[in-house]
Amino acid sequence: MKKYILSIFALITSATLMAQGAHDFKINEVYVTAPACCMQADADHAHCDGKAPLAEYRDEYGEAHSWIEILNTSYTTHDIRNCYLTTDRAVLNEELSAPERIAMMSLIPKGDSRTNLGGKQRITFFADGNVNRGTLHMNFQLDPTKENFIALYDGNGVTLLDSVTVPVLEPGHSYARVYNKEADAYEWHDAAPNEVTANAPNAVGGKGNDKIAEWKEQDPHGFAMAIISMAIVFGCLVLLFVFFFAFGWALNRIAKLNRVKAIRAFHESAEKIVIMAKDGAETKGIEMENYVAVIGMALHEYMGNMHDVESGVLTIEHHNSSWESKDHMLRHTPDVHHNN
Amino acid sequence: MFLESISTLNFIGQKFADFLTYTGFANVEWANIIMILVGAFFIWLAIKKDFEPLLLIPIGLGIILGNIPFKAAGLEIGLYEDNSVLNFFYQGVRQGWYPPLIFLGIGAMTDFSALIANPKLMLIGASAQFGIFGAYIIALAMGFEPNQAAGIAIIGGADGPTAIFLSSKLSPNLMGAIAVCAYSYMALVPVIQPFVMRALTTKKEKLIRMEKSREVSQTERILFPIVGLLITTFIVPSGLPLLGMLFFGNLLKESTKTTRLAKTAGAALNDIVVMLLGLTVGCSTQASEFLTLDTILIFVLGACAFVIASASGVIFVKVMNLFLPAGKKINPLIGNAGVSAVPMAARISNQEGLKADPHNYLLMHAMGPNVAGVIGSAVAAGVLLGFLS
Repeated sequence: MKKYILSIFALITSATLMAQGAHDFKINEVYVTAPACCMQADADHAHCDGKAPLAEYRDEYGEAHSWIEILNTSYTTHDIRNCYLTTDRAVLNEELSAPERIAMMSLIPKGDSRTNLGGKQRITFFADGNVNRGTLHMNFQLDPTKENFIALYDGNGVTLLDSVTVPVLEPGHSYARVYNKEADAYEWHDAAPNEVTANAPNAVGGKGNDKIAEWKEQDPHGFAMAIISMAIVFGCLVLLFVFFFAFGWALNRIAKLNRVKAIRAFHESAEKIVIMAKDGAETKGIEMENYVAVIGMALHEYMGNMHDVESGVLTIEHHNSSWESKDHMLRHTPDVHHNN
Repeated sequence: MFLESISTLNFIGQKFADFLTYTGFANVEWANIIMILVGAFFIWLAIKKDFEPLLLIPIGLGIILGNIPFKAAGLEIGLYEDNSVLNFFYQGVRQGWYPPLIFLGIGAMTDFSALIANPKLMLIGASAQFGIFGAYIIALAMGFEPNQAAGIAIIGGADGPTAIFLSSKLSPNLMGAIAVCAYSYMALVPVIQPFVMRALTTKKEKLIRMEKSREVSQTERILFPIVGLLITTFIVPSGLPLLGMLFFGNLLKESTKTTRLAKTAGAALNDIVVMLLGLTVGCSTQASEFLTLDTILIFVLGACAFVIASASGVIFVKVMNLFLPAGKKINPLIGNAGVSAVPMAARISNQEGLKADPHNYLLMHAMGPNVAGVIGSAVAAGVLLGFLS
């Protein structure tokens, strides 16, 4: 029975772990390549506005396509293989079966080490509709002239991991997920061409999660760092100081109290013995010899010859006598005299 | 037959010439020679001058090893080449495994009773960490990036493992120079600190006699690593690898039930890690990486950090004395021990104290701020890591 319970527990735990790993993947940045007309050097359409990017992130064949960057938000390595990407909103229909949904998605194939993402690592997929070009190529394209819905699904084709609707962007712009420190949340922003960062951290309009850049900007001379850090170091050691100062003081007090208690107990027992001796002599009628021996013993103890005070614990002092002398106790070998 | 012999001779000659291109003589550069001399100088310092031989001998030989020139022919022998033996050893530095293991050993060897008996000495350990942040300010002014400045500034903690740990996380490209600088200055503690201490103390202050510390109970000794771990890591979780291992090692020692483990952590394990760490850190100082302007700046900053740390400890004690009653005053000569160079800094306090008064032994008093410095520098590293990683 125990085995079954353990197996079920292990199964649930491992299933949860897998789900947790997949849920750490987030769509991080989407770039929709400009319409073909804008890519021409003499583009003069109103929507092109002369902003066509000169350099775009390119695939293994040196071609520029729309791309989707996915981030492993955790600090643990997870593999994104067997997950799905799609641009078809129909997959949101809950009445569809898993195979029906999967038919509308593009599979991230297994067998490529690039899909194994370390903590805070990114992978970029090309939306070029040409899966036979390799692992990083999806079976769909993004349309620059209208909104694009993008969804990332777990390997079961049912669990939605993340989704985003990318608005129509100006040529050369991307749509990036950026950390807003004030709101302590991630938000989507339109990133200008100089802020497009395939396979790199996003920072749009000064917002981002780059701690070093923030320190450099806010504390160029290092005074704030020195003050905060010294306060923290002092704080830690002051707390330790307070604890051990108080603890040491308390231990000292307890030791003193124990010593006082022991001395008091001595005095009380001595007083009792005196009273008993008085009572005994006057009323109990104990034989005088025994009585004197008891009093003598009590006085001897009281005078401190047999006991000492150590942290309130009474111990009998060690006395050497002939009774425990090894020399006296061992049997002596008789001397053997040889007569020649 | 004759032609065949000629062709064989040609082949031999060609292969021999080929072999010569692989030798160190064919690939040597002036920078390699300079670094080999630096390595030899470290070994000389360790053997002849007795400056931290346990550290400087592995580092010195490592510098020589790392600067033996060879042809890059995929032989998998260099420190930075995948699958080479040295590269395997180097992972402990690069991934930051060695420093926590050394802290385990330090914890298992350190007796915190001087600190527990007189807890106010902890504050001196905290004050000396200003060396780190003073150097951070100077490094920023010199144009280093905040993460690089933090990696360099930690040299002021006078703690080699902490310097390696932090620089491997924040500024891996400067780690070799930072590590060598940190260990060099640790070896030079007897040269740098007395000068600062003498300059900042009066004759009267040097003669201050401190009262004898109280006895510390076993309960307190056992509680110290547990409470220390809880307080420091709750405040600075980023210091967990160093502080966790430091207090773990100390608990092994003080529990009295795991003496065997404490002995291993403090002796065999520590020795193994020190050897590998020293050797690979030395190896990482390949001339092309090491002989740069940044390295010179790092050495300048390291010296500044050490001087600031020692001075701030001494000055802090002088300030403390303004508030302490007569008879409870602290000798400022133990202020330098706030850096975590254990036990060299405490030994310097003792020597300087004995010079002023041949009957004034400060060693046990100085051990308090010295071990507090170990905790302080690990906390400071955790703070910097938390802010800048």
